[in-house]
Amino acid sequence: MQSGTRAKRQPAWHMLASEYSEATLNEKGSGEYDPSFVITKLGAKVNRVVVAGLLERLEVRETSNGSTLHQGQMRDPSGVHYFSVGDYATESMRELTLVLAKKLEAGEPVLLLMVAKSKWYQTDEGAIYTSLRPEEACEIDAQQYALWLTRTCEDTLQRMKHFSDSLSAEPTREGLIGAGIPEHMVDGLLVSRNHYGEIDIENYTLNIMQALDIAEGRMEAASQPVAAPAPNQDADAGEVATGDESEVKETIISIIEQLDQGDGVDFETVLTNTVARGFDRSLAEDKLDELSNEGTLHEPRFGWFRIVA
Amino acid sequence: MSEKYETHVKSILAECPDANPEEVSAAFAKYETEFFIPPQDAMRSILRRFKGETTPTPSAGTSGSSSSAPKPTRKVSRLSELKGDDREIEIEVEIISHNIRDQTIRGEEKQIAFGLLEDNPWEENGEKNRWEYKDWGPNSNITPGSVVRIEGASVNEYQGKMSLNINQSTRIAVIREGTRPVTAPGEAQDISSLPSEGYVCIVGRILATRPDQIHRKDGTGSIDIIRGRLADETGTIGFLSWEPLEHEVGTLLKIESAQVRTFRDTPELNFGRTTKIEVYHDKNFANVDALSEQTVLTLSELRDGARDVDAVVQITEWAKRSFTRDGEERFLWSGQIADPTGRCRMSAWSELPITEDQLPLTVRLKGVRVRAWQGIPDITIDTIDQVEILDAPPWDSELDLKNHTVEVALHELSTGASRIGISTSAIVVSVREDSGFIKRCTECRRVLREGACADHGPNDGNNDIRLRLAIDDGRASVSLLTNKDATLSLLGMNESELQGAIDDAGQIAFVQSLREKMLGRKINASGRTIVDEQGAMLLADGASMIDEDAGLRATEIRAQWRVA
Repeated sequence: MQSGTRAKRQPAWHMLASEYSEATLNEKGSGEYDPSFVITKLGAKVNRVVVAGLLERLEVRETSNGSTLHQGQMRDPSGVHYFSVGDYATESMRELTLVLAKKLEAGEPVLLLMVAKSKWYQTDEGAIYTSLRPEEACEIDAQQYALWLTRTCEDTLQRMKHFSDSLSAEPTREGLIGAGIPEHMVDGLLVSRNHYGEIDIENYTLNIMQALDIAEGRMEAASQPVAAPAPNQDADAGEVATGDESEVKETIISIIEQLDQGDGVDFETVLTNTVARGFDRSLAEDKLDELSNEGTLHEPRFGWFRIVA
Repeated sequence: MSEKYETHVKSILAECPDANPEEVSAAFAKYETEFFIPPQDAMRSILRRFKGETTPTPSAGTSGSSSSAPKPTRKVSRLSELKGDDREIEIEVEIISHNIRDQTIRGEEKQIAFGLLEDNPWEENGEKNRWEYKDWGPNSNITPGSVVRIEGASVNEYQGKMSLNINQSTRIAVIREGTRPVTAPGEAQDISSLPSEGYVCIVGRILATRPDQIHRKDGTGSIDIIRGRLADETGTIGFLSWEPLEHEVGTLLKIESAQVRTFRDTPELNFGRTTKIEVYHDKNFANVDALSEQTVLTLSELRDGARDVDAVVQITEWAKRSFTRDGEERFLWSGQIADPTGRCRMSAWSELPITEDQLPLTVRLKGVRVRAWQGIPDITIDTIDQVEILDAPPWDSELDLKNHTVEVALHELSTGASRIGISTSAIVVSVREDSGFIKRCTECRRVLREGACADHGPNDGNNDIRLRLAIDDGRASVSLLTNKDATLSLLGMNESELQGAIDDAGQIAFVQSLREKMLGRKINASGRTIVDEQGAMLLADGASMIDEDAGLRATEIRAQWRVA
């Protein structure tokens, strides 16, 4: 981005609150029109987002210079976004904010979708905080919320893949391009890797599983406490929830139901997904065997499972 | 009500003993069924509601007053402004070279980087100074040819020689990626990776050469030049030689110190007095026939200013036009052409053996040039021998190219050439406040601002209807303008219904109602694009919202990405 020229409009990232709020890296150009970015652990170089969720708080604050500032928070399945609407916002955004604040005061649930600019500031101690400045927003219904969740899950999964692919590549521009990382992810991945070092992306997988449950209207599953990451660690293994045996079977069946595209679902996929839902791996293995032996499942080819119709 | 929410209701009651358990339970049910919010996520909202006015104050002082500058840095634009003991300086420079070496520091093996940097990176041909630098980081984002802003470096003076120390705490922001590869002189570069400006060395075979003349604008005569085209296995490039060039088509040449200049959107090599040209020997270098294949372009690949272009296209419309120049009536033939990648215009300065009843007609074009009008490529045919009529198209002859629209990913539209006959799908991320009725200048059709045109002054204007949106695929953002018909069909209204809706609600509320219908949703739009430095604009004559089933998508995503 060359100084002095007005930049192109920055793209908007569909992003869960967990990915955005965990970001502590930023970049700001020196020119008047140089965009400012928050760079996430997955390497998204974010100037603008499309986010949605339940409006949880929206309050007026008087700032030191006498202008008014609405501060709010919005919850999605992965966490909370903090945002503010000040005098700098457009008239329509400020009007909408007043309407939403009234609704919230009256105890009405508000599902909100917003297109917002990323903001960050640094405390004197050097800690980075991020927030959002909505540009445009609207109330949405549960169906639209579900659609936003699916888009966001898909984009996040794609970023997770680019992130994983980038780990085995030479940490240079050419290295990442060579590893098939698309242009729009390269700059972010180069600096995020330097800044965050080794990160654990398992949490994002859990967020996505829960978000997809909601999108499918499977509220039961979404309401269950999120399972701990893969339990094959060490001494704690004894504490892993083994779950009710029939529950394991039900889970396995529902996983195969969902994932079967006609050829069945392979052994490893069934097990990873069962484990990710909080079940013990060896128990899941046993139950998969049992289901196969009792004739609920069959193996059209070795290691691939289908439900017997 | 159900026991389903028992534990959640209990937690609420613990905080608000006066609340009615039935009501609390009903609230959880409502959040879950109507808003898809699971109880654990609804907790806070419901707690807040039953606690009434006593809202918990937000934790952590997030006041907007704190400043974001961690350490004061001294900002300079030239290296000459620096003194030998300067610390914490900030400067924008171009990285000329970057080398990494291993060094043992206090018994520890460590990599450090060193090289040359140059100040004043933005001024073309401006005065520039070079210093050596050492990067103790080393920072992975320093690459040769890139322009970076160095924040928090210090100056090192040793025996009167100044250099820059980039420390581990120094921040490096890449402002421009290394688009100008810095290559050692004499080392040939691939034609496909040539920079858009600068001096280069290449090895290539001559595909075409012809004498030409450039007429001086001031009328003091003309200069004889040679134009032509060179190719290697990665691509082809046109050239212009200001010096005599006797080599024949097919000759393999090594050319040093040729200057790349970009005319319109097309780079071209310039050979001058300092350019060194010699015959090069490489038995394995591809022959002319193989290399010529590369000059065959599809319409989607055309760029303004391109020359010596070969293409196979279908002429779908063709007409003779007359105009007067210097008091003399002249003729021009022009029309629409298409191939499976898109549509554009074509013009000919001489009559082609084509009659209207033969259309559509497939032709092979050889050595034609490309101009663009409003960014849309227009192929120019100068002589009749550039056109060969084919019996049948090389693609499926059933394809109706006249009404053919090509589906293109948004991020491809945003960077390529301007195109006609495309459609794309993306998410609506903005509905502009000036969507709805507008007035256009009666002279030039530009939108009037406060009753006046920037070029033609105040006028009454003509009414028109349009939506101004921004659409986005997560990689690029494009401005979408829907014309009157597309707008009305998208909104499902006729003109008077639209007028009524705006009169009832007012402009701001009307636009907000559009956002409720469109923001965050997927739209498909078809039409043409205009691409320039500020980004791409899609002028749509058709647009529709795309309905999607979230549950189905979610299940597809699980299968595709293997998440259960």
